[in-house]
Amino acid sequence: MTEAVLQLRNVTKSIGGRKIVDNLSFDIPAGEVFGFLGPNGAGKTTTIRMIVGLISMSKGEALIKGVSVREHFELAMTHVGAIVENPEMYKFLTGYQNLVHFARRHKGITKERIKEVVKLLGLQNRIHEKVKRYSLGMRQRLGVAQAILHRPSLLILDEPTNGLDPAGIRELRDYLRKLTREEGISVIVSSHLLSEMELMCDRVAIIQAGKLIDIRSLQEARDSIQSKIVIEVGDLLAAQQLLSAIFDVTRIKENGNQLEIAADKAAIPDITRLLVSAEIDVLGIQTVQKSLEEQFLEITGGEMVV
Amino acid sequence: MSSLSSLIRNENMKIYRRPRTWLMIAFLILSIALMSGIMKWDSSQNHSRDWQNDLTERNASMQQELQENKELSEEDITYFTNEIMLNEYYLEQDINPDELSLWNYVSTSSSLIMLATILTVIIAADMIAAEFTWGTIKLLLVGPASRTKIMISKYIATLGFALLLLILTFASAYAAGGILEGFDGTSQAMLSITDDGVIQESSYFLNSLEKYGFSVISMLMYVTMAFMISSAFRSSSMAIAFSLLFMLVGNTLSALLSGYSWVKYLLFSNIDLTQYMNGATPLRPEMTLTFSIMILVAYYIVFQFVAWLLFTRRDVAA
Repeated sequence: MTEAVLQLRNVTKSIGGRKIVDNLSFDIPAGEVFGFLGPNGAGKTTTIRMIVGLISMSKGEALIKGVSVREHFELAMTHVGAIVENPEMYKFLTGYQNLVHFARRHKGITKERIKEVVKLLGLQNRIHEKVKRYSLGMRQRLGVAQAILHRPSLLILDEPTNGLDPAGIRELRDYLRKLTREEGISVIVSSHLLSEMELMCDRVAIIQAGKLIDIRSLQEARDSIQSKIVIEVGDLLAAQQLLSAIFDVTRIKENGNQLEIAADKAAIPDITRLLVSAEIDVLGIQTVQKSLEEQFLEITGGEMVV
Repeated sequence: MSSLSSLIRNENMKIYRRPRTWLMIAFLILSIALMSGIMKWDSSQNHSRDWQNDLTERNASMQQELQENKELSEEDITYFTNEIMLNEYYLEQDINPDELSLWNYVSTSSSLIMLATILTVIIAADMIAAEFTWGTIKLLLVGPASRTKIMISKYIATLGFALLLLILTFASAYAAGGILEGFDGTSQAMLSITDDGVIQESSYFLNSLEKYGFSVISMLMYVTMAFMISSAFRSSSMAIAFSLLFMLVGNTLSALLSGYSWVKYLLFSNIDLTQYMNGATPLRPEMTLTFSIMILVAYYIVFQFVAWLLFTRRDVAA
């Protein structure tokens, strides 16, 4: 594996004795979209702001391409593009002037590069208009343009979809995918919306009350999705007894007037045959898939804000 | 990593691309035009009569005063003698002292530096606080430029604006004077009397520069104070309001409290260095020019340090 683009080492922030972020450590390899998931107030934004130096760390270190943010801030930041919450731009400047403003901070961004980025984000028609006349979606795109002008290795997005409509979210998502694929950029996204993260990220870190609870690969999570069969029958007790013959007892659960069996739908024909032959009335039978959301809710103890 | 010069260009862009800035500049130039107009009108009201006759009469009455009034102080006697000597020189050389020259306009315009100072204070107070108000501070700080560098670029851009207003004040007063009185007065010499009682010709230009110089010192102090306030408040309206408040109330306050000896340590008691120039009396008798300069330098360092501390050490959380 190549060197991690971002390394967090025991990053801690305490304010007044309370630990807002507690000993976070993880690595993000090149080309990965990494999600930062947690309920409101879990410390996502604080962590992200510590990575970009907006908030000082009480302890620990963040390395961007091996460069310490604390010790060599300027050098570390040359590798970073960031959109921290809604991208607020200078409203009295045009979109183009805003980009020039951000381009000047880096060495070697040519006019051609600015034009290229403008085109990439489809802003070319209105780039010379004042930003105050832009819609939120356009400002968001300008924000992305600003963040990628200098071809960063790491893109940091803090709640990027706040206030965007579904079309805008989709647009941003597609765009991020494109960037990681074509330019090999690593991306960190923070969000409290799991559904969004599911579509965007390769891996997610789940944090709660400042602590890292789990890091999961979403691909693995998808593969390991368990399904269950829910049966509604006339005689619950008899059915339970009957089914314990073919399923382990631990896999059968009573839920109100329904039976839940941890199995996939291939088992349905067997179950039906068994129940029918024993003359038990079958009122309904269906498979239910446990969503990622439920899995994560389990991990965070039901505190996920969706 | 960002170079300081490109950061300054960015700050300049943010100052001069705002319509507000140009309104301020227009307001300043308009004020100078108005001042010049009033000066011209005023002088045209006064010296329609025969100025030679006037001077002779004035000299006669001063002479009389010198001879008859035995209670005149040493200072008054010198003043009257000098005046009489100057007036005689004017008559001799056929120079009308009441006739305005372009340098009178430039010289009077130095009092309008107060206005330029107020305008620059508004810009300075807005410099850091506005980024917080706009929400752009986050994007500004997340870049390959340290906070110290960003602060320096903002301070330099503010001083640049101050310099622009000074040059504009000088230039428009010069232009107004030239238009109203003709540019041929440019080389006119300023007449004054030295301590030895000799008539001396000096350059009006240098005299105007000196007047500007004193105003520039107070301008620099006020602007630096506003800049510090700007990094303390995260709302530009608060920062502007407080800076202007301190500036406008401060002088009155130190004049009111001049009975107490600790007043001499206040910024506002020392900011006007003309109190040590010929004839003027300082706010408190024990104050000297060196003392005031030292106090001003101390305040300047404290302002810069506090601003730097507030800007570089605080978390940007909101």
